[in-house]
Amino acid sequence: MNHKYVLNLITVFLLITNIGLSGCAHVAPWERGVLAKPQMAVDPLPMQSVTRAHNYGSREAAASTHSAGGGGGCGCF
Amino acid sequence: MIKQIQLLFSVGLALNLMMIAPLAAISVGDSLPACALTSLDGSHEHNLQALRGKVIYVDFWASWCPPCVKSFPFLNQLENDLKNQGLQVVAINLDEELADAQIFLDKYPADFAIALDPDKQCAQDFGVIAMPSSYLIDRKGVVRHVHHGFRSGDVSALRLVIESVLGEPL
Amino acid sequence: MKTGSHQPGDRQQKQVDSSQSRESKLPAGSSSNTTLQALTSAALVLPGLLMQPVQAADAGAGADSFSFHYSRFQEGKRKLFTVPNNVKPIQADVIHASGGLSLTDRVKFSFNYSRDTWSGATPVTTAPLATNGNRPILENTPFGVITSGASPFVNTKILLDRQLNPIRRDPLTGQVIGKDTRLVEIISSASPETRDAANFNLGYEWNEAALNISGGLSSENDFESRYGNVSGRLDFNQKLTSLKFGLGYSKSDIAAILDQDIIPYLTRTAYAKQIESRGGSEILHGGRQDWTASLGLTQILGKRALIDTNIGYTHSTGLMENPYKAMTVIFVDPDVLNDGQDTLITGDVRALVEQRPGVRNQLAISSKYVQHISPFDAALHLNYKFSFDDWGINTNTFTVDWVQPLGNGWTLTPRIRYYSQSAANFYQPFLFSQQNFSQNVVDTSGREVWEDVNNPDTLFVRDENFNLLDRDGNLVDEALLNVQPKTTPFDAKKLPKSFSSDHRLSGFGSLSGGVTLNKRLVRGIELQAGFEYYARASSLKLGGGGGSGFADFNYYVANAAIKIDIEKLNFSSHSGGGSGNAQAHHKVSGQHHHGGHVPAGVMSGHMLDKAGDFMFGYRFMYGRMGGDILHGDLVASDQEVVTQGCSDTLNCRVAPTFMNMKMHMLNVMYAPTDWLNLMIMPKFVDMEMNLRELSGRPDPLPGVHEHTGIAGHATGGVGDTTISSLVKLYDVPGHRLHMGLGFSAPTGNVGLEFRRVFQIDGGLDHFGMQLGSGTWDFLPSLTYTGESSRWSWGAQLNGAKRMESKNKSGYRLGDEFQATTWGGYNLTKWLSASIRGIYTVQGAIQGDFNAFNGRSGPQDFPGNQGGQYWDIGLGVSASVPKGKFVGNTLSFEWLQPIRTDVNGFQLDRKGALAASWSYHF
Repeated sequence: MNHKYVLNLITVFLLITNIGLSGCAHVAPWERGVLAKPQMAVDPLPMQSVTRAHNYGSREAAASTHSAGGGGGCGCF
Repeated sequence: MIKQIQLLFSVGLALNLMMIAPLAAISVGDSLPACALTSLDGSHEHNLQALRGKVIYVDFWASWCPPCVKSFPFLNQLENDLKNQGLQVVAINLDEELADAQIFLDKYPADFAIALDPDKQCAQDFGVIAMPSSYLIDRKGVVRHVHHGFRSGDVSALRLVIESVLGEPL
Repeated sequence: MKTGSHQPGDRQQKQVDSSQSRESKLPAGSSSNTTLQALTSAALVLPGLLMQPVQAADAGAGADSFSFHYSRFQEGKRKLFTVPNNVKPIQADVIHASGGLSLTDRVKFSFNYSRDTWSGATPVTTAPLATNGNRPILENTPFGVITSGASPFVNTKILLDRQLNPIRRDPLTGQVIGKDTRLVEIISSASPETRDAANFNLGYEWNEAALNISGGLSSENDFESRYGNVSGRLDFNQKLTSLKFGLGYSKSDIAAILDQDIIPYLTRTAYAKQIESRGGSEILHGGRQDWTASLGLTQILGKRALIDTNIGYTHSTGLMENPYKAMTVIFVDPDVLNDGQDTLITGDVRALVEQRPGVRNQLAISSKYVQHISPFDAALHLNYKFSFDDWGINTNTFTVDWVQPLGNGWTLTPRIRYYSQSAANFYQPFLFSQQNFSQNVVDTSGREVWEDVNNPDTLFVRDENFNLLDRDGNLVDEALLNVQPKTTPFDAKKLPKSFSSDHRLSGFGSLSGGVTLNKRLVRGIELQAGFEYYARASSLKLGGGGGSGFADFNYYVANAAIKIDIEKLNFSSHSGGGSGNAQAHHKVSGQHHHGGHVPAGVMSGHMLDKAGDFMFGYRFMYGRMGGDILHGDLVASDQEVVTQGCSDTLNCRVAPTFMNMKMHMLNVMYAPTDWLNLMIMPKFVDMEMNLRELSGRPDPLPGVHEHTGIAGHATGGVGDTTISSLVKLYDVPGHRLHMGLGFSAPTGNVGLEFRRVFQIDGGLDHFGMQLGSGTWDFLPSLTYTGESSRWSWGAQLNGAKRMESKNKSGYRLGDEFQATTWGGYNLTKWLSASIRGIYTVQGAIQGDFNAFNGRSGPQDFPGNQGGQYWDIGLGVSASVPKGKFVGNTLSFEWLQPIRTDVNGFQLDRKGALAASWSYHF
């Protein structure tokens, strides 16, 4: 795959992401009942994710973006 | 190329961070906003201002908020221990589905007053920025303490503030 | 075809059978170390780099919980095209335990422990099918000679045409079949291996931020990694936006014990400086460091949607090769190739340890969009990841998850994933090199140079009459020397700087799909089961060009998990109250634990009293044997072991030096009524043993491979599963009596074999290294416990009666009986100490292996099993009497052997440790 094509792809992808972000509506703290649902968690099945990452990692050569996690959710303090 | 991506990312991030919605939040020293609340079944209308003369502990909560669950035993304790000294606990539910609140209350019974804020006007007037949020209002109707969230370690400090405000003469 | 070109082949066929042959019979990994080791292990998946996602912004969610997770990875057989693949493909069992507890309302501590055990066959290299690298194994059967499997050969000869196209011949007759450009993986089997990993994490939460510090260790025979990372989260915009960051570092030490059986056939000159010789083994040393940095952003887009974007950068330096993977290089003599003729030529096929660049930079970016689908109350998760690195590997991953709550606490999550990667720029299935692998040295006048093997600096030439001459031209008496032609090896500079034929660095695509089912039960218990099927195919590569599908394979993963959320338990326990402080409504543990605390080594020692109660427990047992070989209760000399330890017709050649056994047991107990408890206990075991040669031993038997060396050998995996019931017989204050009726199901494998070495089957592993009894066993027990003020005491009789006459490997373990009694004293309200006496008797093994076993030492004979044992146990037990962690009990017990009287000849015992944690709710 040629590099330029891929980079363009990322650029487009990032732009879309950013348009999405800046265009998003304000969600009041009391309007996050749906976001607080377990199925809406960024990683709804963390135990499965660990196992899968391990298996994919042993058979594929992709890099990982695993970061600290978090974000999303009910917005509770 | 990598630099370009990073640049894009940072620009995007900056854009997002600037997009903070302005909200006039109530803070210590402000006076109690006039809030039109209803009882759980929607039948009775209440106004927080009508409680003037009492120390009011206003708590905004929702059924889906884990720390709210944790705060219920504390609110029950306040109601039972300090009601006679003139404390009125008002827990204002902000659920978008009333049924959720009712299921929650069946599971975690409340000894204190539960009110609804059907059009969320009260929450907006208070400028609630987190769940749960609680406000301590003295007998003169002045906000004396604002607390966001609820953790078990907050209990003793909150209780101290409440008792001190209760001890003040009218 | 010119007949002349057949001759090297014919010679080659003869050489195959000679053990002195230069032909390679690549064995399938020795008993101790394997081609497999670095494969599913830390070398590729550095655990420290996969940061565990810390809980989301929701304060308190899942803070105090523990979970246990088991998964089974099973790969399908690789294609060998011309021969049947009769070796077991890779299989891995992973157990994972984790727990979290909040030390204060803002400080959280969590830990993870995981243990992987894997075994099976894996590719060591790739070669043209024409090399016949997977050499057929012939077997005589009543129906004639059949090909029963394949054995790997990495050093061989290949016929080529002048365009260097491989010409395949029949591996048995040498008959030329014709041009065949197909490729094949050379498969080699391996004995089981184990990895242990643990990490600890400490986190602090502010209202709008979090910081975590964690560190851990991953350890296996040949690879040890230490790692640490710092990660954090900052919330903005009323938590609509979260910024996340992480920084990690990992340092690994590699000490790969090269396969003693492959060494003669493996070209490893590039690593000469890193290889240490010790105890007859060659150990390849190396180090590796990895830095990772990540940055992420989660943004809530609306009431029903959010997006999560992450960028990760990894910088790695050091030994990134898999030292068990080789590159097939076909050396072609340029003089022959360019001699102007059109006959077939012969290539010299060699296996070189792979070489990868010493630096790797990887960048990955991923984005996930989560949308709530209101009509179904489901969540759609769309995930895309792109990564690239300076090895030339670009990857694209698309994943779609649909999380569907079904009501009553059930959730079903189907998932589909597509992955594609391009090849590393140094990936080649195999290489040609136009030079000789080694070449005779000639002097300036064209004469062959000879050297003295014992003194390689002394060189000679021969005159026309084949007389040996020294440098000055003087005649030398050859009878006094050991001369051979001096050779020079190939020029490594003519090969690429880096090369690997590891198919994981090739271009390919994969498609996988799976489903996870969750059930939230009452009281914060969550059960989870998942399944995933994965298919790799070169043809699935994005944009094509993945080459032929010779390396295609598939695997599936099945897993099950239990998670218990302590906080939710606490809420439900006081939900009826309605008022008061949360602490006031917790149960008091004393209610449940009559008879004080039972020592950690006692099984089925206490009952749950209240109908509806649950107990979840984890028990770990470690036992070590080592030191002298005993005959009865006396130390036996090597000579005695040699002559009496095995059988009348066969003397012992080796004896064990040590054996370690580790057992992890999970225990779930439930009380349907107040007089009956039901219990299930799955077990996971791993064992390690090493052997030494006895002094005065007889010579090795032909056809039997003896696995000695510095590394020992290991087995591991799922053990037997106990299902039992406890029945209360008598219960007055201070005295209780209960009976246990249990069964042990033969879920542990008793057919574990050593790998094939030099085309010789390793045969069944020792009795003591098998993972279970192999039979259904009846496990009765009777337990009495008593207590008075701070004192407690108890006694138990228990046994194991095998209910079948033999297991699938032809034998059955001896029956067991144990009597034990103990006394305990409560030092404080929460801490107690105990002392215990144990007598155990176990019969010898009945029957014998029904398949080949090496019979190399006393451990392989059924009479040398079981005996009588006396032990003293010293234990401590701590239980949390009140507060959030009420119901948790942690106990330890050390068992010190006092007297050992074994049947026949056996290794002495060194002691055992039992550790038990249980949570009662």
